[in-house]
Amino acid sequence: MRSLISKKENTWCVGCGNFGIFSAVRKCLQKMVEEGHALEDIVMTSGIGCHGKIFDYLDISGLYGLHGRAVATAQGIKLANPKLRVISFGGDGDSLGEGLEHTLFAAKRNMDVTLILHNNGNYGLTTGQASPLSNLGYKGLSTPQGNVEKPFNAVTLLMEAGATFVARGYSAKIDHLADILHKAVMHKGFSFVEVLQPCVSYLNTYQLFNQHTALLPETPADTETARKLARDPQTYYLGVFREEQHRVYHEEVLSSTAVMNPSQRKQYLKDFQ
Amino acid sequence: MSKQIYTVLIGGKAGEGIKKAAQVIAHLAIIHNNHVFQTDDYQSLIKGGHNFSVVSMSQQRLHNTYKSPDLVISFDKRSVQRHEAELSPGGLHFCDEADAESEKQIPLPITKLVKQHYPEGGNMSLASIAIFCALMRIPEQHMKDTISREFKRNLNENVSFAVEIYRLTSNMSLELGFKLSLEQQIPAKLYTGNQLIALGAWAAGLDCYFSYPMTPASSILHYLALKRDKLAVSAVHTESELAAINMAVGACFAGKRAAVGSSGGGFALMQEAFSMAGMVEAPLLCILSSRPGPATGVSTFTAQEDLYFALNQGHGEFPRIVASPDCFERAFTLASELLNLAWASQSPAILLTEKHLSESATNVKLPVDDLEDFFTPISDSEDYQRYQITDSGVSPLKFPGKGNCSDSDVIKWNTNEHLESGVRTDAAAAIVRMKDKRNRKQHTINELSKKYKRVEVYGNGESIIFAYGSTALELREAMKYHSFRLVVPVYLEPFPEEELAEYRGKSVIVVEHSSQPNFARFLKEKLEIKVKANILRYDGRHYSADELVEAIREAENA
Repeated sequence: MRSLISKKENTWCVGCGNFGIFSAVRKCLQKMVEEGHALEDIVMTSGIGCHGKIFDYLDISGLYGLHGRAVATAQGIKLANPKLRVISFGGDGDSLGEGLEHTLFAAKRNMDVTLILHNNGNYGLTTGQASPLSNLGYKGLSTPQGNVEKPFNAVTLLMEAGATFVARGYSAKIDHLADILHKAVMHKGFSFVEVLQPCVSYLNTYQLFNQHTALLPETPADTETARKLARDPQTYYLGVFREEQHRVYHEEVLSSTAVMNPSQRKQYLKDFQ
Repeated sequence: MSKQIYTVLIGGKAGEGIKKAAQVIAHLAIIHNNHVFQTDDYQSLIKGGHNFSVVSMSQQRLHNTYKSPDLVISFDKRSVQRHEAELSPGGLHFCDEADAESEKQIPLPITKLVKQHYPEGGNMSLASIAIFCALMRIPEQHMKDTISREFKRNLNENVSFAVEIYRLTSNMSLELGFKLSLEQQIPAKLYTGNQLIALGAWAAGLDCYFSYPMTPASSILHYLALKRDKLAVSAVHTESELAAINMAVGACFAGKRAAVGSSGGGFALMQEAFSMAGMVEAPLLCILSSRPGPATGVSTFTAQEDLYFALNQGHGEFPRIVASPDCFERAFTLASELLNLAWASQSPAILLTEKHLSESATNVKLPVDDLEDFFTPISDSEDYQRYQITDSGVSPLKFPGKGNCSDSDVIKWNTNEHLESGVRTDAAAAIVRMKDKRNRKQHTINELSKKYKRVEVYGNGESIIFAYGSTALELREAMKYHSFRLVVPVYLEPFPEEELAEYRGKSVIVVEHSSQPNFARFLKEKLEIKVKANILRYDGRHYSADELVEAIREAENA
C-alpha cells in the first residue's frame, strides 16, 4: 500500500494531539484497504483550524472547505455519489461553533458520513480563544476574565440530535482511536467521534486525560446510561456510546430512477410538451 | 368592436384557491388556442389579506398581463371595492350577492350555493371557473371534465356547485365582445419562469438542486422535488442557504451538476461559499430571483435591486458569470447555457431574475432544439493535478469514485490558496501563479459565451431603450402601442461589449425596477451612454403596457 503521508511540511506543534489523530486515521485507512476498500472511494473534507491541516498531510482526495461548513460539504459529496465514503474533520470551534447547524442536521438526517471532532477545547490556530467546548473559567485572549459560558458536551449533544453512531477517543490512545474510527467509517449512517486532543500551546491536557480517562467496558445498553457515562464528572469515558441502525438519508431522498443522458433529456422534454 | 386582448381578474382572501382557479382559466384559454399571461399578486400570508390573480388572453403573443380587467370576479368586499375602479369600459364584475356595493356588480348567490352544495367547507373559487366558462360559451361538459380533473377533493360537490353557477351565468346571456377559439395552433403548455429555469438547467444535466425556501425562488425547489422520479433529479431542502451552497459545491466535487437558488437574503448568506466556488473552481449554477429589499423587504413582489450584488457576489477576486433572462424561452435556454458555461469554465454562474418572471406564467413551446449537448471531459492523466496551470486557466477535471481513478490519484479541491496539486500554500510566487490562472478564465469565459445570444434587440423605433431581465417583457408589451428600439443585454458579466459597440456614447432611456438607477450606472460605466431619462419603478409592482407607454412618452418629450 502506498504512503498516506503527503510531502507537505508538517507544522503542527511538537506534541500536538493532532499527530495521534493523524496516525489513527492512517491506521484506519490501512485496515480498510486491507479489507478490500479502494482508496479512491474514500474522500475527506475539513474545516479551518489546526485540525484542517490534516487535509494537506493526508494524501487522499477531498475538499478543504470553509470554516464550519465541511460537514455540509461532506453531505453534498455523499448525496452526489453514495458510493464514496466521506470522512469530515472538524474542530470544536468549527463543527460546534460556526457550523453547529450542519453538525446537528447531519445527525438528524442520519446522513451516511463520518465526523471526527478534534476537541482541543480552544481555538488553537487563532491563538487560543475560548471554544464552544471550553470549560467555565477558561482564560484566553477573548475571555481574559474567564469564560462565562458552560461548554457543550459533544457526545450527549450529538446523541440528542440523532446520531446513530457516537463515540469518544483520545489522541494519545492511537490503537483504540484507530479501532473506533474504523467502526465509525464502516457504520451505515451518521457517525460521530469526539477525539480528546491536548493542545500543547494553549491547553495542555495530557496529564488530565492520562489520569482521568477510562475505557467503556461495553457499549451502553440505552441512551440514559450512555448519557450518564458521557457526562461523568470525574472520568472521561472512551469508547462507543451508541451504535444503532436506522434508515439513511440518501437512500430515502435520492431518486431511484436512472439518470438520463443529454439526448434522453431532450427527447423527454419534447414528449413532455 | 371585438377585443383583441381579454383580461380576467380574480380577487379575494389568501387560502381561497384564487391562484389555482386562475391557472385553470389560463389553461382553458390555451386549449382554446389563445396565448395567455398570468400574474399573481399576493401577500406574505396564508389566510386572509387580499390576493388577486390576473390572466390576460389574446390571439397574439402576450408578454405581460393588463391592468384594466374585462372580467372581475370578487370573492370578498375588499376585492369588490379595490377592483371596481380598474374595470375596463363595458367590463363585467361578478361578486357574491352579499358583497355587491352598487348596480355595477353582478351579484351571484355564491356563499349560499357553497353552503347548499358542500356539507362543510367548499371551494368557492370554482365559481370563477364556472363564470368564465359560461361567458366564453365553453360547453358545460367540458367545464365539468376540467373541474373533475383539476379538483379531485369533494369531486361531486365541486361539479354540482360549478354547474349551478355556470347555468346562472349562462342564463344572463351577457355579451363579451371577445371570443376564445381560433384555428391556429399555439404552444399549448403553461409554464412559470421558475419551471422553465428548472427544466432548462435539467436539460443541461442538472443532477441535484440544494435550496432553502425563499420567495420568489422557492417554486424551483418545489417543482424539482415533485419531479424527482420523472427527471431522476435530487431536490434537497437543506437546513439553511449556507448548507445548500456548501453541499452543492461538495456535489460538484463528486462530479454532479448542481445548482442552488434563493432570493437576495439567501444569497447574502451564501456569499462566503460563492467565493469558495470561485476558489475551488466549482462549476456551480446559482439562481437569484429578486424581490424588493433591503433585508426581508417585500417578500412577494418584484424588483431589480440586486444587479450590483449579483455582479459582486462573493468576496475576493475570481471570474463570475451573470446573465438575466429577458423572456420565458430564455429562462429555459439561459439556465441551460449557464450550467454548461459554468462547467466549461469551472466558475460559478448566476442566473439573475425577478419575481415577475419567476412566478408569472405563460404558454411556451420549449426551445429544445436550441439546446447544445452537454459533456464533461475527464482527465486521463496518470499524474493528475487538480489545479494544473493552463493557458485558458481551466484545469482538467477528474472525480473520485467514478471508476476512472487509481489508488495513486489524489484530487484535492482547496478553499485555501493552493499549489497545482491542491495542497495549501502561502508562497508569494505560487499565489501569483494561481491568481493569474484564475484570472485568465475571465477571457476564456468571454470567448466561450460568444456562441450564445448575449444581446437581444426588439423593435426599431427612434428612441433607444435599455432594460434587462423581465422588464424587457413589460417593454415588449408596451411596444405594441408605441414604437422604440429595446436593447437588452442578456449577459451582464462577461459584458457583451462587441455586440453593444454601436450604442457607445448614445443617448438612451433606461427602464429598471429599482429606486436608484443602478442599471443606468452600469451602462454608463460599460458603454459611456448618455442617460436621457431613467424610468424607475420600485413599488414592487410590474408595469402595465399603458403605464410604460406614458412614462416613455414623457421621457421622450422631456
